[in-house]
Amino acid sequence: MARFVRNLAEKAPALVNAAVTYSKPRLATFWHYAKVELVPPTPDEIPTAIQSLEKIVKSAQTGSFKQLTVKEALLNGLVATEVWMWFYVGEIIGKRGLIGYNV
Amino acid sequence: MVPPVQVSPLIKLGRYSALFLGVAYGAKRYSYLKPRAEEERRMAAEEKKKQDERKRMERELAEAQDDSILK
Repeated sequence: MARFVRNLAEKAPALVNAAVTYSKPRLATFWHYAKVELVPPTPDEIPTAIQSLEKIVKSAQTGSFKQLTVKEALLNGLVATEVWMWFYVGEIIGKRGLIGYNV
Repeated sequence: MVPPVQVSPLIKLGRYSALFLGVAYGAKRYSYLKPRAEEERRMAAEEKKKQDERKRMERELAEAQDDSILK
């Protein structure tokens, strides 16, 4: 046990360095994409969003959603599922636990 | 590298509102469940105490009534 701790203390800086050198370019790629794709909507994007929502509601009312191809419908379903999963991620954050409510 | 895709504002709005709704729901439900769980634990501890007491009385009674010359 003591030898393990001493080994770890000796090798720790090298391990940390290796982790940093490994993760730096990958973090850069992540940031490069996240800056565009994961930013929250700015206030002036909200009217566009509401218009898209109205378009969807109208397509449901007029029945024009039946003109979608199956591929488009599947993609829309996938996107909707992803958006709904963010709700569960939020719930995990709110209940401060990964699995179940630790009351 | 593939250029990053421009996400539709509706999807962005949907994602972040779902996130905040989720946080609010999780926090609310946690604060709702917490006192109930504590109450449940308290009741369980009381029940256990009563059970132990009852068992002790039974055991003592049984010992007292035990007819045996090997006392």
